[in-house]
Amino acid sequence: MKKEDTVKLISREGFEFIIDKKAAMVSQTIRNMLTSPGSFAETEHGQVTFPEINTTILEKICQYFYWSLQYARSYLTFNINTINYCYVCPVLIS
Amino acid sequence: MSAPKKKNFQIEAFKHRVVVDPKYAEKTWKILEHAIHEIYNHNASGLSFEELYRNAYNMVLHKFGEKLYSGLVSTMTAHLKEIAKHIESTQGGLFLEELNRIWAEHNKALQMIRDILMYMDRTFIPSTHKTPVHELGLNLWRDNIIHSSKIHKRLQDTLLELVQHERTGEVINRGLMRNVIQMLMDLGSSVYQEDFEKPFLDVSADFYRLESQQYIECCDCGDYLKKAEKRLIEEIERVSHYLDTKSEPKLTNVVEKEMIESHMHRLVHMENSGLVNMIVNDKYEDLGRMYNLFRRVSTGLALIRDVMTSHIREIGKQLVTDPEKLKDPVDFVQRLLDEKDKHDKIISSAFNNDKTFQNALNSSFEFFINLNPRSPEFISLFVDDKLRKGLKGVTEEDVEIILDKVMMLFRYLQEKDVFEKYYKQHLAKRLLSGKTVSDDAERSLIVKLKTECGYQFTSKLEGMFTDMKTSQDTMQGFHAAAGADLAEGPSLTVQVLTTGSWPTQSVNTCNLPSEILGVCDRFKTYYLGTHTGRRLSWQTNMGTADLKATFGKGQKHELNVSTYQMCILMLFNKADRMSYKEIEQATEIPASDLKRCLQSLACVKGKNVLRKEPMSKDIAEDDAFYFNDKFSSKFYKVKIGTVVAQKESEPEKQETRQRVEEDRKPQIEAAIVRIMKSRRVLDHNNIVAEVTKQLQSRFLPNPVVIKKRIESLIEREFLERDKTDRKLYRYLA
Repeated sequence: MKKEDTVKLISREGFEFIIDKKAAMVSQTIRNMLTSPGSFAETEHGQVTFPEINTTILEKICQYFYWSLQYARSYLTFNINTINYCYVCPVLIS
Repeated sequence: MSAPKKKNFQIEAFKHRVVVDPKYAEKTWKILEHAIHEIYNHNASGLSFEELYRNAYNMVLHKFGEKLYSGLVSTMTAHLKEIAKHIESTQGGLFLEELNRIWAEHNKALQMIRDILMYMDRTFIPSTHKTPVHELGLNLWRDNIIHSSKIHKRLQDTLLELVQHERTGEVINRGLMRNVIQMLMDLGSSVYQEDFEKPFLDVSADFYRLESQQYIECCDCGDYLKKAEKRLIEEIERVSHYLDTKSEPKLTNVVEKEMIESHMHRLVHMENSGLVNMIVNDKYEDLGRMYNLFRRVSTGLALIRDVMTSHIREIGKQLVTDPEKLKDPVDFVQRLLDEKDKHDKIISSAFNNDKTFQNALNSSFEFFINLNPRSPEFISLFVDDKLRKGLKGVTEEDVEIILDKVMMLFRYLQEKDVFEKYYKQHLAKRLLSGKTVSDDAERSLIVKLKTECGYQFTSKLEGMFTDMKTSQDTMQGFHAAAGADLAEGPSLTVQVLTTGSWPTQSVNTCNLPSEILGVCDRFKTYYLGTHTGRRLSWQTNMGTADLKATFGKGQKHELNVSTYQMCILMLFNKADRMSYKEIEQATEIPASDLKRCLQSLACVKGKNVLRKEPMSKDIAEDDAFYFNDKFSSKFYKVKIGTVVAQKESEPEKQETRQRVEEDRKPQIEAAIVRIMKSRRVLDHNNIVAEVTKQLQSRFLPNPVVIKKRIESLIEREFLERDKTDRKLYRYLA
């Protein structure tokens, strides 16, 4: 996969998640970061650091992005029997 | 992943870290302010979007939204003030370009600022009813740049100057114009309208007022219109290139008003090139242009229409009242048709087939055709001419076209009953002399008349055709019955005409030669034998005869003559010389007819079977006539025409007129009775109006005549006057 199509998300602890740009753009905020007209640091380097988000949550977020991309947005392949729920453990949130 | 286990848990509210640092807001704002500066300085690449976003987010979250917002406003304002100074200092030509460039930059910066302040834009601004960031940016730009005292006027002047340049034929940077104008539109339609459109329209009006004044002084109408059209197209193009589409109607309005409306009358009435001149010279292109331009102005078309109408009326009036042109009725009608064709073509090719113009044309024709009381007669004569000889060798479609045109003229006539009278006379002559060219054409015209005026209008005309047909059958029957008895002597063809259907003729029976009288009597007995209760009278003034004559050198000729002429010639079987008086006594032909017959027999070169003494053109009462032994002709058959008065002579005209008036009386009476029967009570004016309405398809009744008819009806106790209100009439059952 080309580098331009991916984006690196870095957690508070410094863990790096390299995911599809498409998936990252599920988040409107990340979309803005990557597409804002003047090139911010994020757009230039293709990476975003989240000093306030810990690794576990960022991982879950990334999972959610892919889940959302696959199930929540693709109306065409939607099928009630095959749907998988994105399970978020309550512990994570506390 | 598996289905969630059922387990009770509580989601606790996210706990924000309590900000302890009292300078937190100040610090965070500094970061953001710095970022905004950097963005305006094109240094954004060093900034972290995430950080800025997080800071803005936290500020709003920690109730510092107000500070963030006001900080943004003041920072941006400060920046724009800087920019304004920069723009003010730019030199002449670069002004617009610089403005445009910085505008683009401002837009970009604004977009970025909005992105990092997205959270504020979404939560803080709606809840406090402030202006969203993007709009705020535009407003600040408007107030600080566009409305800055030094830029405002300069921008306006520059734009207007550029348009002026383009109007005078220079090439300008349209792309730049479009961008700058687009900027004004982006700032809100009121900015565009106030700061550009209004002064622009004013300037345009001035420009075109001046230009049109120049043009109208030095150009003729056609050229002026060409220029106006060009200008109009240019302005429309201008709108499509760099103005707001909503400006188009306003702008064209200005051009229309200045270039067309204010000079409309002068243009139309321009000598040697105005509307009348165009019409006379069939300038379709110019006329079309005039139509299209004037259509844009509210009273434009009405003006063209009025001028055209009065022009046509003028021409038509000359046409129908010029005594020179009244000499030849066929030519007269042909002229009318040509005139109609000409204007029809103008309307169809230049005036877009406009219905109102067609109506104007029709009403004009109606107006002037009826100016001449002889029009009905002439139209009928025209038809007569066409059906007698004009249609030979013409295809059926052409015949239809000619007849349709005649019908069109007929429609304009007010006195349709007069036309009917004449038509009947002419048709009778055609039928009896067997001169009608095409039976189909005759019938087709009758059908047209019928569709135009209804059954009763043509019933008599149709009766004439029926008579002709029955007469043929009768003749066959007669010949079959009489058979061999008739082999010797002259053969006779009789047309039995129903009184009433045919035009009434004063019966001037002449004395028929004995040879003929015999056959006639035989027919009479035969006819009355088969049809009881009928009366036959001979219309000797309408028949024709073929005579076989032998002349001096033994050459034989067949002479085709009228019945009267036949009677005269038969006299010369017994005598070679007869005086006028002798002939008159022997034949008892009415004097005027006799003179005409003798003239055609003795005075026409090549057909002079009689010789007159003394030799002169006119017949006098004491002339003497001789059988012309020396008569010779190249042809075996010689047709001797009667010197017929084609057009009616003055007394005949009077007579016809009188007959028409006479015929109208019962029609008017019938109409009055019909109306009163349904209304029971009606006042005088209403009766006149209704009668006129009912009869207008046939003629235009004169109110005085109507009044007389009402009086006559009162006398005969169909109506009575109301006892209290003398203006009211009451129907008596």
